[in-house]
Amino acid sequence: MADWEFQNIEYLYGLSIIPILIVWFVLRDRYRHPVLNYSSTSFIGSAGIKAKLIHLPFILRLIAIAGLIVALARPQSATSWQDVSTEGIDIVMALDISSSMLAQDFKPNRLSAAKEVGGEFMLSRPNDRIGLVVYAGQSFTQCPLTTDHEKLVNLFSGIKNGMIVDGTAIGMGLANAVNRLKESDAKSKVIILLTDGENTSGSIPPLTAAEIAATFGVKVYTIGVGTVGQAPFPVKDMFGRTVNQMIDVNIDEETLKAIAEQTGGKYFRATDKNKLEQIYMEIDQLEKTVIEETQYEKKNEEFPLIAAFSFLLLMAEQVIKRTWLKSALTDV
Amino acid sequence: METSELLKKVRKIEIKTRGLSNQVFSGEYHTAFKGRGMTFSEVREYAPGDPIRSIDWNVTARFNQPFVKVFEEERELTMMLIVDVSGSSNFGSKSQQKRDIITEISAVLAFSGTQNNDKIGAILFTDKVEKFIPPKKGKSHVLRIIRELIDFTPTGNGTNIHEAMSFFNSVTNKRSIAFLISDYYDKDFDRPLQIASRKHDLVSLIIRDRAEDQLPSLGLAPIVDFESGKRLWIDTSSKSVRNHYNQRKAAHQKYTIELLRKAGIDYTEIYTGQPYTKPLMQLFKKREAKR
Repeated sequence: MADWEFQNIEYLYGLSIIPILIVWFVLRDRYRHPVLNYSSTSFIGSAGIKAKLIHLPFILRLIAIAGLIVALARPQSATSWQDVSTEGIDIVMALDISSSMLAQDFKPNRLSAAKEVGGEFMLSRPNDRIGLVVYAGQSFTQCPLTTDHEKLVNLFSGIKNGMIVDGTAIGMGLANAVNRLKESDAKSKVIILLTDGENTSGSIPPLTAAEIAATFGVKVYTIGVGTVGQAPFPVKDMFGRTVNQMIDVNIDEETLKAIAEQTGGKYFRATDKNKLEQIYMEIDQLEKTVIEETQYEKKNEEFPLIAAFSFLLLMAEQVIKRTWLKSALTDV
Repeated sequence: METSELLKKVRKIEIKTRGLSNQVFSGEYHTAFKGRGMTFSEVREYAPGDPIRSIDWNVTARFNQPFVKVFEEERELTMMLIVDVSGSSNFGSKSQQKRDIITEISAVLAFSGTQNNDKIGAILFTDKVEKFIPPKKGKSHVLRIIRELIDFTPTGNGTNIHEAMSFFNSVTNKRSIAFLISDYYDKDFDRPLQIASRKHDLVSLIIRDRAEDQLPSLGLAPIVDFESGKRLWIDTSSKSVRNHYNQRKAAHQKYTIELLRKAGIDYTEIYTGQPYTKPLMQLFKKREAKR
């Protein structure tokens, strides 16, 4: 893509001399040449091709002058491209999909809210590699680190409760996430661990997992989801109907804080969806990607061509004026 | 033009043309334009060869010597010079401009007229009637006409013979000799010309220049039309441009002559830089022969 730009664009104001020249020429033309008086030109049929082109040299000169002014303004065709060598960070989102995530203190429920907000977060960070780990009673990788965020969001929205044995294996989820990140050579490795309860299953305790994370230099942001006090939770009654039952919300905040502290991350508590959004925004701020943009610009000086063309026109003007359109009555 | 210079010029023309009108033209003019009837003018002594019939016996008896009566045609003619002073008359390719030759011819005619005791008047016209000098007798009047012809600066540039002839028809009621001296850069003037020729002795003098008939090859040049004042670049070196002009100019000349012939007007073509005596003489002779 070649863009034209002028290095000394102020010279282009010089183009205003063109209309002045034209006016001057028109005003002066009548008195410039001695004329031949003749009885009557009414019998002249056609004045001849030369007579019709009599002002050609002047027009050529005007074009040449305009060309020279443009050349003075130093036109450059710049071929520019950006080399956005972003050293993005690697993020693994560890999402709790245990049955408690169906609690409706978030609208429509915790899981859906987390998916929605998390999806937006992914799309807002196009330069990062993002992976997805889900956990409940066990943990598995929904998606390894990728930059294909569309695909990621697609996989993210496919997450459902009940994909895994119920339970909350925070340690397993965290360890799995670390496993995904350990090979990465990104500058910054981040896990966003989202849960709503306590570690109830799994073979790795959360703090051990946090240690592993710290060893690999992975930062863990922990998010506790759930209101303070009780939350409505859908349960099936004896007739098979779904009814909401109030259940106590208890999040193992101590452990989550400890994990965050140990790995240099931060613990957040989300009591509703808005809060969750704010948390993600805060994480987004904390993990600002340093984008190294190198802008290359190749500038080609275009004036030689224009100048050469203008000089050619000037020469043509002089030649035509002195030869083909020479008049005995005019001095060149 | 300064007065002394002007007078010098007038004098020069007078001297130059006086001789011509005395020696060459007086007789021709006299016979070419005759008055009506004869009037007695004087008696003189009989000379051998005079017809006996013209002897005035009363005077002879009184003086005891033979005297004869001399009759003169009734002159008292009026001569009108209808002169084109339009822009194109300023053109001239050789030593002489059309205007110069027009002035000279006018002077010759005027002096010839005064010798025959005619009244001389003049109408100077361009695209309108610029000046009307009523007919009068006398040498000083002729000189005045010449002075006007030399010095007059017209306000118009074009040529309108129609207008001039209509004016002439309206101001002169007496039969007169009229010379229409012009280069005829005009069209459609036949009507008043015919009217004038029926009533008056109308003669056309067509003033031409060689460089007008054939467009000279001068290369590319800005050319100003004397009549319209318009400026035009013309490639006179182009053969087609010249041919085209020459054809159209020739066609116009043909048209003019045809128009004059149809109106029954005697004409002659006079070129600048060439002697005008011959064409004038021929014209006068032609008129004599017509009688």
